Amino acid sequence: MKENGLLLMVNGQSYEFKIGTGPGEVSPSHTLARTLREDLGLTGTKVGCNKGECGACTVLLEGTPVLSCLTLTVECNGKRVTTIEGLEDPETGELDPVQQSFLESGAFQCGFCTPGMIMTVKALLGDMPAPTELEIKEALSGHYCRCISHYHVLDAVGRAIGKRG
Amino acid sequence: MQREYRFIGRETARKDGLGIVRGREKFIDDLKLPGMLQAKILRSPHPHALIKYIDTSRAAKLDGVKAVLTYKDTPPWKGGLPPHLGVLSNVLRYTGDAVALVAAETEEAAEMALDYIDVEYVPLEAVYDAEEAIKPGAPQLYPQFPGNSFPLACPWMGENSLQEVAMGDVERGFAEADIVVEGSCRYDNIPNPLPLEPPGVIAAWEGPRDLTVWSSTQTPYFLKMMLHYTMGRINVRSIAAHCGGSFGTKAVPWQLVFYAAALARVSKRPVKLFYSKAEHFAAYTLRLGSAFSGKIGIKKDGRVMAVAGEWLINSGYCSDAAQGMVAVGCGEVQLLIRCPNWAVKPKLVCTNRNASKMVRGYGGQELEAAFLPVLNLALAKAGVDPFVFFKQNYVKPGDDYFWRDGNRWVCRGIDYSAAMEKGAEVFGWKEKWKGWLKPSSVDGPHRTGVGVGVHGNADVGEDVSEAYVRLDPDATCVIYSCVSEHGTGQRSSLCKMVAEVLNIPLEAVSLAPPDSLVNPYEFGPVGSRGTYAIGSAVIRAAEDAKRKLLSRGAALFQCPAEELETKDGFIFRKDDPENKLPWKATGFDQTYMGYGRFEPDFSVPNFVMIFVEVEVDMETGKIAVKRVVGATDVGQIIDPQSLLHQMHGCLGSAGLDSAIFEESVLDKKLGRILNPNMVDYKWRTFLELPVFEAVILETPINTHLFNSVGFGEIVTSPAPSAVLMAVSNAVGRFFDTYPITPEMILQTPGKGRLKA
Amino acid sequence: MKPFRHINVPGVAEAVDYLNKFPGSSRLIAGGTDLLGVLKDDILPAYPELLINIKAIPGLDYLREDENGLSIGALVKLAFLARSPLVREKYKVLADAARSVGTPQLRNMATVGGNLGQETRCWYYRYPHGIGGRIQCQRKGSGPCLAVGGDNRYHVIMGGKGCFAACPSDLATALAALEGSIKTEGAGGGRIISIGEFFHPLGNALKAGEMIVELQVPPLPAGSRQHWLKYTLREPVDFAVVSVAVLTVLEAGICREARIALGAVAPGPLRALQAEQFLKGKEPIPEVLQEAAVLAVQGAKPLSKNGYKVEIARVLVLRALEASFAGHK
Repeated sequence: MKENGLLLMVNGQSYEFKIGTGPGEVSPSHTLARTLREDLGLTGTKVGCNKGECGACTVLLEGTPVLSCLTLTVECNGKRVTTIEGLEDPETGELDPVQQSFLESGAFQCGFCTPGMIMTVKALLGDMPAPTELEIKEALSGHYCRCISHYHVLDAVGRAIGKRG
Repeated sequence: MQREYRFIGRETARKDGLGIVRGREKFIDDLKLPGMLQAKILRSPHPHALIKYIDTSRAAKLDGVKAVLTYKDTPPWKGGLPPHLGVLSNVLRYTGDAVALVAAETEEAAEMALDYIDVEYVPLEAVYDAEEAIKPGAPQLYPQFPGNSFPLACPWMGENSLQEVAMGDVERGFAEADIVVEGSCRYDNIPNPLPLEPPGVIAAWEGPRDLTVWSSTQTPYFLKMMLHYTMGRINVRSIAAHCGGSFGTKAVPWQLVFYAAALARVSKRPVKLFYSKAEHFAAYTLRLGSAFSGKIGIKKDGRVMAVAGEWLINSGYCSDAAQGMVAVGCGEVQLLIRCPNWAVKPKLVCTNRNASKMVRGYGGQELEAAFLPVLNLALAKAGVDPFVFFKQNYVKPGDDYFWRDGNRWVCRGIDYSAAMEKGAEVFGWKEKWKGWLKPSSVDGPHRTGVGVGVHGNADVGEDVSEAYVRLDPDATCVIYSCVSEHGTGQRSSLCKMVAEVLNIPLEAVSLAPPDSLVNPYEFGPVGSRGTYAIGSAVIRAAEDAKRKLLSRGAALFQCPAEELETKDGFIFRKDDPENKLPWKATGFDQTYMGYGRFEPDFSVPNFVMIFVEVEVDMETGKIAVKRVVGATDVGQIIDPQSLLHQMHGCLGSAGLDSAIFEESVLDKKLGRILNPNMVDYKWRTFLELPVFEAVILETPINTHLFNSVGFGEIVTSPAPSAVLMAVSNAVGRFFDTYPITPEMILQTPGKGRLKA
Repeated sequence: MKPFRHINVPGVAEAVDYLNKFPGSSRLIAGGTDLLGVLKDDILPAYPELLINIKAIPGLDYLREDENGLSIGALVKLAFLARSPLVREKYKVLADAARSVGTPQLRNMATVGGNLGQETRCWYYRYPHGIGGRIQCQRKGSGPCLAVGGDNRYHVIMGGKGCFAACPSDLATALAALEGSIKTEGAGGGRIISIGEFFHPLGNALKAGEMIVELQVPPLPAGSRQHWLKYTLREPVDFAVVSVAVLTVLEAGICREARIALGAVAPGPLRALQAEQFLKGKEPIPEVLQEAAVLAVQGAKPLSKNGYKVEIARVLVLRALEASFAGHK
């Protein structure tokens, strides 16, 4: 990649950007959340506090949950990013089991925190075959939900674990 | 016996569920219009000041900046109750008040431009406490409101809106009482309901008097009307995006619309204004500050004889609904206790802090959180169990009360005693209640205590709803009801009601987008009115459409329409279901449009009782909420998941936790909110979840076809005073202010092992 | 966020080079979890021109144990430290402190160097520029400390001078109990700063153009036990109101060594030397531990609204000592 260029692998697709301050270019001060939302139109990643305090903007960077509002896009060169839009099967549109579980448990009210939580749970279940309830709560402890859907989310995670048999 | 329904009361997936879990639902910040500019606001560094000089020329010349506005060049729109705030003003009344507006090609350009606006201020003396603000000689915020007192009237609730609780003869009541207590309590920590999504709007002018507004509003049609009246009777098209939580706060974001629309008018471009979280904290909506001080007289058996006192309400620098909240609060407190003699006088005050506006709990939470701890003093003296007291006192069929319109209403709802009893049983109230100021259990430094609170609202039947239901030849139907989805699942629940009436698959029912251009009048899903008020309009519209369909069918079947029924898009005679015709057979490309309207009815209060158990660490002052039981009776469950969600909501939106850690910390020297971030503003996390049990009964209530009543709005309200009671019982002393901090616990004498 | 330039550096030498080429107008970025919040709220009078990205410097995220003790590269993530079996086993307070920071996502991003170098959480210092302008104060170079006459519930009860902001770093408290130190690199070469010397009331000991490259923990006393406690209103998210890290050595029922480090009560981690001295040679019976707990905060000078921190600190010391001594059995 050229010095003033940037390569992102988002949901299995490669995107090249120019680093700069012109239209369509990625400025050094742009966060990953902004690039995903504004430049790639992936608005499923929500920005709640924009300061890493609410968890809404959680995406997977190389498989690890990170806060995309506190991640500079220029520091993601060559990295693999997964967003909520990347969870469903691109061919069939079939939902990821975690998405399916959230749907079945009705694990949301306003739904603004949901994509971030789903990303965290996706990573958690990738790391741990059968997390305990405490481990699930700890993994989700950085996610703010003001409607209080927590109990249904815990139900959804249990359901997702069940789906894996 | 409950009726068996096809959809009502059954678990069904939310209509928008797939969109939410796929990240496809569009919230306000996900919308982009061609040529759209971004707005930013320069905010006042002073809590009270005059703008002596302002020059925007340097900012206006910056790259990408398309409009900069000050009080000198904004339109003459006026909001507030009564109208008292323009778009901008040369008088600034809180730290964060809008000084100037900028619209630019990018957010960064707009933000940069703020630093290039040159302003000189004349700082004025400021006042923050309501008690101070009403004293003679206090700094005055508005010349038209002497003594910093807002006039008590809420015209849109009626000419005689309830602005006090006054009846009987309190002096006689006190004379007849066995126990008279005097006391005061402050619920003045101005917590922030803080939906996750900050508020935002997009404004675009389609013509000189035609404005389109996209917003995260909860009530798109009501917003249209409000803007129409405050912006010089212009035509407004109001469209709601998916709303990332509101709790009342996003119902009418008129100020954001003023800002964005003013910028859009000058720049001739669509303008988006999306608040930062810091603005959401420090320049948007707080709860009312509330303090009650007065006298309560009761009989030894707990019967309340007289209540007299002052309810002092701090609305911050402006009021846009506070008088309405006064009215509802004054109504709701009467639902709680039976008392023949009342003299509770509200006083509504403005101060130099960010505004208190419409919030879930709407006056009742604020009044009760301050009033009930004083009542508790009397109950404690009499040794009356608060659960027993609430059960005896809560409004029952045939009881009357004055509601927000100033009229006397007679309750024609149900007796909620069964739900209370069931709640107490599930919670184990009898075993845990050891008497006032007595812990339920003690384990070393850990003491547990229990508390209970009750709340209800007759606003479930407030205001007007209208709806259309259109039957299509393809056996589907469309509901036209101007309701946005803000988390309650209301849009899906309306679909369930219509699917039930028409007996068609839920998939065949859709709801028009929440757009005032296509939908009839709708006050909106607030005050738990979605189920009864909006539901009634929608049900009636569906029935009306069905009637039209069947009367056409009558000709085909050559029988009276009353003998026909419809199911899954077919019409048939009730006595011959096999012989059926599809809807489309009733006429070539024929659609049927039904209309329904709901008129206000304040005679059916809803109800919730909240039991809490807390554990207090007497050595560190830490309070943990261990268990919550919520009890209600909703007549008939419409959607079990949504209902349970609403119940759990007790822990959110400046509810239960405003008793222990939620507060906006206002520095009263600087007039600044010190914790406008989500680290220092405390909220409940997954690791602090109490055990939560819901008790939901279904005793048919005389509302509409489904005998159901709404529930969501009320659930936060009883929680703060219940927690205060629980902590008092654990610790062994009463508290008269919120939130209870570790510091306050640690001031309890003889609490731990260590001496200083 | 206002714009800045950004450069990736391949090594420590280059990072130090850039820091020195842009004195006062450049900042290092690693995890970014603290810095980007500071920039978004625009709290500092001078906005940096240049961010120097050290995240990608190879070989700075090591965890090594040898006869000199434990060395932790500055770029080690908090999540990694918290999960490391070695650290959990032997340097328990360090793992527990790391695990107590922020939230899982923050710990996936934040580095140990950043945890020590982060800006204070004083809410006057942190007040966002967007709501009427940032607040000037001593720590920012001019003006009084507003916490003294304001809401100081989270501020220091000891050691404040000019500024009364508390040390926000949990790792610092744990390191103090382990008598750790910080290794830096700068224009004039590297140095080693003991953790007790690192923080001062107005900031830290880093000179312009100097960066943290390593945390060092000397070998532990044989048979020692450790315990970590952090008092917050909520388990995740919160910074410490008070934290305590203790290390104890018990021989034949007698305390041979006790180290008590207090966090969030002073500008830096504070060793309770008087209490430590008192414990030495004594049997850790309840009366002794209670006396030690009282001694631990003797001399505290709370501000108007943080006296409760004194009481909490005492209780935390007592409980941590109880737990640590219990661990010897």
